[in-house]
Formats: sequence, structure tokens, C-alpha cells
Amino acid sequence: MNWTPVAKIGAIAEDEGLPLSLDGKEIALFHHDGAFFATDNVCTHQYALLTDGYVEDGCVECPLHQAQFDLRTGEAKCAPATEAIRVYPTKVENDDIYVCLD
Amino acid sequence: MTSTSASTDGAPIVIIGAGQAGASAARALRDAGYTGALMMLGEELHWPYERPPLSKDALNQPDPKPAFLLNDELARTLGITVRTQCRVSAIDANARRLLLDDGSQQPYHACLIATGGNVRSLPGLPLGAPGVHYLRTLDDAQRLRAALADTDHLLIIGGGFLGLEVASTARALGRRVTLLENANALLKRALPARLSDWLAARARAYGVDLRLNAVIEQVTSTASGVTVKLQHAETLSAPQVLVAIGQTPQTALAAQTGLALDPVNGGILVDAHGKTSLEGLYAAGDCSSRPDPRSGHQQRLESWQNANEQGRCAAQAMLGLPVAPLAEPWFWTDLFDCNVQIMGQNANDLQYVVRGELPEGQTPAKALVFGLRNGELAHLIAINAGGELRPFRALIGQPLACPADVLADTSIPAKQLARLAAGPVNA
Repeated sequence: MNWTPVAKIGAIAEDEGLPLSLDGKEIALFHHDGAFFATDNVCTHQYALLTDGYVEDGCVECPLHQAQFDLRTGEAKCAPATEAIRVYPTKVENDDIYVCLD
Repeated sequence: MTSTSASTDGAPIVIIGAGQAGASAARALRDAGYTGALMMLGEELHWPYERPPLSKDALNQPDPKPAFLLNDELARTLGITVRTQCRVSAIDANARRLLLDDGSQQPYHACLIATGGNVRSLPGLPLGAPGVHYLRTLDDAQRLRAALADTDHLLIIGGGFLGLEVASTARALGRRVTLLENANALLKRALPARLSDWLAARARAYGVDLRLNAVIEQVTSTASGVTVKLQHAETLSAPQVLVAIGQTPQTALAAQTGLALDPVNGGILVDAHGKTSLEGLYAAGDCSSRPDPRSGHQQRLESWQNANEQGRCAAQAMLGLPVAPLAEPWFWTDLFDCNVQIMGQNANDLQYVVRGELPEGQTPAKALVFGLRNGELAHLIAINAGGELRPFRALIGQPLACPADVLADTSIPAKQLARLAAGPVNA
């Protein structure tokens, strides 16, 4: 596992997302229900950043067309998206949030 | 009463129309646990697909793939029999049987009419005349795409959402665009005057030759293109023209079956659950007119979300299941680098508050525009701010607990503002 420190835990408020650029990829880091979730940041339906969207009930909703993705699994929960986003492991050590893109 | 297992008579649930509402209903029937036979009959050559991209990606992406709602594999997995190029010529509602145009008969247990709409045509510019385009189907989009590849100038008649979307796409392709709108402002029914004016300026900043108050006196179609003579103005010519003056509900089959139609909007009259005036027949999407939950007035909506939602409601009703209420109507469009989302309804007695920036020219815009009636949120428009609109969804039709200057304060994050606006009553 190749862990990269990406943010301090105080950097993201609950139910907010932080856009990251890691290894040339657009990654989203979300804070929800006391935990941190890393996912692809680009909606699989049309280009939009999910960190500009809305987090509720374990899902992020795309700001363009309200497609929803499960933060834990990446599964597309409703139209217009049909394809999942990728999700990546995270961990917290001391005050640092780490993401693993392997 | 239908149950989620196969119907007692063994006949399938049949969906007439393979568009958004039909596909949504088919998926919802399976999601609700219906295990009986399910059939979808579409007139087009294509499998069910999404229509929003037809005015956008389908015209300007290098190799656009249709956004299919179902494909062979998914249909097999879900147990949906999809028949394309299939026309229903009559419905025998007493015998619960469809007559198809190949002469065969198809019994049904329950039937959903999701036939959508037909483009409204302009006399003098028939579909099929040289250089004349209408846009409703994937085939229409492919013809328009080919025409755009081959022309330097597109004339668009109609400054509604569709006309504006194609204008935006054609400008992105570098084509010269002339857009004719007969009203004195754009999207007057959907937007307050301030946003209409802003959008018109934006269209012009993106290079659209926008003519408001453009009343057409005469149109002529020749082999080399189309000529339009405007009242009290010049005569315009273009090699290609798109007519985008709205659509009418496709109700021929329903009318012939004796279903009640809405005298005002022409849609098939349905109740809140999509039931028509005849037992066993339901309708959903663009072709239907249902009561607005807030006002109780019959309403026919033409939108992707409405088609999805009405399809879902009808599916639940067909199974005799509790019908979850329709989601708040929500509409989006993509124009001139702006994603515009609308909830609630425009009215001329609303007081509007702008939160954010609506700059001139091509400068990126981001704003929420609140339409208030006596402190109640009646209308909400987001320009490149869909994520900020979302927390206010539950507040449409509700009194807001904060004054206009607080709504306009961009230093307060949208979610926090929504909580403030909800106040102790709605919190």
C-alpha cells in the first residue's frame, strides 16, 4: 500500500468535499458521518466535479444532473449515471488523512 | 389487483413508448419486485435512449455514443422484451388488447402510454425539405450533426430551451448562428426579466445573432436553403434551419381509445398516480397531464426528471403498491458555459434576490437566484451552482426564516444558509 498524506482532518467540514490532484488524477476527499472517503472526483455521466455537489445519506450527488454515488462503494445509485466511480482506501494517523491510489 | 408476481391472466404489463418515461417505468417495475412479463414497444429504430444530449454532445462531440437507457444485455437481465419499430394502431381497453400495425394482437394486463411528444411544425418548412431540421429523435440529431459539419451558418427559429441549447452547441463548433425569437425576451415563462436579459446578453457575447421580437411573415424553402421574411425587418437566408418552436403531446392513440384529454394543454388526463380515465390504462411523461400537487391544477411538464418520476409513480400504481410522492419538479439546461437549474415556478409577483455573480460577456458566472412571495420560496434558479441549489430543495413552497440580505450574503456557505432559511419550524 502506497499511502499519500493529502490533508489535515480539520481541513474538511462534515458533509463537504475537498478536490485533490494526485498522480494526475482528479480525486475527491469527502468527510461524512465522522469518516473520510476518497473517490474519483469526476462524474461518470458528464464532466463535473463531485466536490461541487451535495453530500447526504452516505452518497454524493453530482451538481450538474443529480446523479448519486455511494461514497463507500462508488456505486451509481440513480440516473442519469449508470457507471460507478472508483473509490480508494483512506486512513487517519494523528491529524493526517492518507489516501492510497494503488 | 395486480401484485408483484405474474398477473393472474398471464398477460404482460405493456409500455407503449420507449423513451425516458417508459424506460423509467420498466426499471421501476423491476425495482419494485414485479416478476411478471414486461414488454416495451417503441416506434423508433433505436433502443430507448436519453434525449437531453441530442442538442449538446450528440451534435459536437467527435464520436458521440447515444446514452442508451437499456441495451440488449440489460433488458435480458431485467427480463424486459423490447420491440423497436413497433407501432400500436389501436387499444381495445375492454378486452385489454393492443392491435399492432403488423396485424398482430398483444394482450396486456396493464398498459402504460408513454408516447411523448411530436415537434410542432412550421407551415412552409416541412420535415424533409432541403436544409430543414426539427429535433426530437436521435435520427434528427444525426441529420443535424451532419448538416452542421457541412455548413457555416445555422438559422434557428425559436428561442426556447432547445433552440438556445443548439445555438450554444453550434457556436461552440464555430458556426455562425442566427436565432429568431418572436417574444421580446428569452424564456419569459421560465425566468424573471433580469435573468432573461442577462441570458440574451450572454448569447450575444457568445456570438449568437439574436433577434428578439422576430415575427415571421413568410418562409420559403428552396434547394439551396431557407429564406425567412420578418415583419418590419429584413429577409434572412441560411443553408440550414432548425425549427424549435415546441412540441405537442402525442395523444392520437389515446384519443382514438376514448381516453379523456386535457382541454387546455392537450395531454392525456391522469390522476396523481398516472391512471387515465379507463381501467388498466396509465400514462406518464410528456404526453400526460397530471394535477400539480401544490395548486391542484392540471399540468403537463416536458422534462427528463418529470418523465422519470411519472414513470416511476405509474409503475408503483400499476402494481397496486403505495406510490411515493413525486419529487419536486426540477429542470436543467446547459447554455453558453452555464449549467442552469430551475425549481419552483416563475410568476410576475415574485421578488427576486441574487446571491453571487452574473457577470457580462463570457466571464464565468455563478449564482443562486431566489424568487420570493411574501417571504416564501416560490422559485429558485442556479447558474453553475447546482450543488448550492440542492440544500434548498426541501424549502420550495416554504416560508424562509431569513431576510433577503442574508440570502444574498455569499460569505455564508449554501448549506448553512439553507439551515438558517429553514428556521426553527422546518429544522
